[in-house]
Amino acid sequence: MKDSTITLCLPGNIRFTRLASLTASKTAELFLSSMKVSKGIDDFQHAFELSVSEAFTNAARYASPSSHPQPVTISFRFEEKQLTASITDSNPAFTIEPPAPDIENYPEGGYGLLLIRSLMDTVSCRRENNTNTITMSKQPEIH
Amino acid sequence: MKTLLTIRENSYAWVTSALQGLAPLLLPICNKPFVEFLVDFAVLAGSREIRLLSDGPLQEVEQYCEDGSRWGVQMSYAHIKESDDHQTIFEKNRRFCNDSKVMVIDGFVFVGYDKKNDYRDLFNSMPDGTVASCTTGSIRLFTVSESNMANNDETPVSLTPIDSVESYYDLSMHILRHESSRYVLPGYGSEPDSYVGRNVTISKSAEIIKPVSIGNNVQILAGSVIGPDAVIGSNVIIDRKSRITESIVLDNTYIGEELDVEHKMANRNTLISPQGAVSIAMEDPHLLTGIKDTARGIGNLLRTIVHTLTAIVLILLLVIPFILITPILAVQGKWKSSRKTCYDHTCKGVISLPDVSIERSGPLSAIAFALSLDRLPTLFRVVGGKLSLIGNAPIAAEEKNLSPPAATPGYRPAVFSYAEAENWPVGGSDAAIVERFYAIHSNPLQDIGLTMKSLINRFHDTTTA
Amino acid sequence: MIIKETKLDNITIVAPVGTLDASTASLLNENKVLSETSATVVLDLSQVDFLDSSGLGALVGIARKKREKKADMVLTSMNDNVRKVFEITQAFQLFDVYDDARSAAEHCRTKTASQ
Repeated sequence: MKDSTITLCLPGNIRFTRLASLTASKTAELFLSSMKVSKGIDDFQHAFELSVSEAFTNAARYASPSSHPQPVTISFRFEEKQLTASITDSNPAFTIEPPAPDIENYPEGGYGLLLIRSLMDTVSCRRENNTNTITMSKQPEIH
Repeated sequence: MKTLLTIRENSYAWVTSALQGLAPLLLPICNKPFVEFLVDFAVLAGSREIRLLSDGPLQEVEQYCEDGSRWGVQMSYAHIKESDDHQTIFEKNRRFCNDSKVMVIDGFVFVGYDKKNDYRDLFNSMPDGTVASCTTGSIRLFTVSESNMANNDETPVSLTPIDSVESYYDLSMHILRHESSRYVLPGYGSEPDSYVGRNVTISKSAEIIKPVSIGNNVQILAGSVIGPDAVIGSNVIIDRKSRITESIVLDNTYIGEELDVEHKMANRNTLISPQGAVSIAMEDPHLLTGIKDTARGIGNLLRTIVHTLTAIVLILLLVIPFILITPILAVQGKWKSSRKTCYDHTCKGVISLPDVSIERSGPLSAIAFALSLDRLPTLFRVVGGKLSLIGNAPIAAEEKNLSPPAATPGYRPAVFSYAEAENWPVGGSDAAIVERFYAIHSNPLQDIGLTMKSLINRFHDTTTA
Repeated sequence: MIIKETKLDNITIVAPVGTLDASTASLLNENKVLSETSATVVLDLSQVDFLDSSGLGALVGIARKKREKKADMVLTSMNDNVRKVFEITQAFQLFDVYDDARSAAEHCRTKTASQ
């Protein structure tokens, strides 16, 4: 299991969001079972389900043109101690800085990156060859 | 019976401002988080289901308590609004409260009880109404069919508001001095009034005077005196010849040499005087100036020479495996090199450092990792005088850092970190303690030893993984 | 996604079933009771197994529109994973959250009656 990589390529359309997030959840479950972790399973799965849902939505929402959306690639890597998910798209560049929670005039969007940042251990964004990749990793709690 | 804990954000706002970096609901009282006392009490009163309600964030406390199975209870969490009154809170949690007598503990208050008493039968037989109250909170009993409320004359428990630094300090001291037997306190106690946690090293010449409570991962160095009346948190180093009396040292704190801490609270690099309605926070001058002095002068020159020479030796040793192995790894795509910008030793300027990560698969990359080949490019920076060989892990300049280097006294960006050498998790607040400790204590010779230790640790990591 | 509607003492309880994310948020916005009427509603989240920030954004938008019309939307019965999203984004400060749909409906009825 160690060092396996799972890659999923989906059209950049938000209709496929659930497919991406459910795959993330199930991949996280598989990863945990290979690590023989028995605690915090639900939290770990949900962290990946939610983070991938957010990252995929971001990628799909800005995909253009909408009639022939660029594909979005999601890959999961089983590392020694952590699971890493990367989401790659070929949209124009974007920034990673999440806005601070604004309770007064709560905006209706822009909370995706805030969620990813608080759920994952490490998050990084890279732009190369006209693609954006957001990479995020999390270690399960080992007791 | 079930228990509802309602704790509003404004009742603990003072913690956030006075004691930086602490989650208010996890505020340690004699080394045990505040919320755990409430859970213990709810269990004593016969509750198997506890719900924590707040109009503020609950994430940290939820991470700590989880589902409550540790205490054999079911814990749940829910949100209320600042404007919600008792009735609304009750309505919002109707499903939880149904078919049961409910104890509502309201406010950021400490419940004074005795673990030897039986509160279960007592509370079950009590009529609905207020059991105990104080200026900032209360304990009340409810039943779903709202009956006539009656106030109870004799209160089986006491309530103490925790509404300021002073009241917090007084409470912790009071429990330590007089009431430690009434609660379940963490740590081992071979004798009463002394509670000591795991992984605690106490120097032979250090003196411990009861009553004391000491957390986990604590080092108490030669000639220091702890107590009487000292609460030492976890991940704490008390340096040589320091005295801690009538004081609370909170988690992740380093107390420098020959410091007299009396009737104070220490939190990271701040000393707080518990007196007065307003808390006074002072920079600890001994700690900061102490480090800045050693960072300059002859010792520093010697250190630079030793670091440079050792780096040259390491480069000579590693360069041949480097030439043989890295091109292969690079072709396989397992050698990933990028650059990152970090603060330099002045904390003001920045330096750009090569940042190599090796994908850990296959025997070659294992060898490369075991030999620390990924650190070779940065070793040249030591020769150039830009980095130290061993010191702090470089702090990236672009991240929004929790601890900017200005808050890390004696910050010396380096190829290897002291935390690595001591096998502490790199980058956490725990690591900051080790790095801060060695920032004062290491001498150039020790540095070589510690560098070897971190090389061996990495080697060991690979071979056992 | 299925959206169930039931009535309890003149208060409509809207219960979406499934997932609230970018792909389904628009369906919620198209729901008549939620987006068009000026009646206070209860949104029962007991059958929502997953919510992300797009789903949350839709809820915030609906609640805002309701409040502009002097009505409200109160939430009930969210599971732990849904609550976590409210927690991290601090959106819980924007909603009244009940653990029981009946209790929430009663609250709405008294609120509507007092206006």
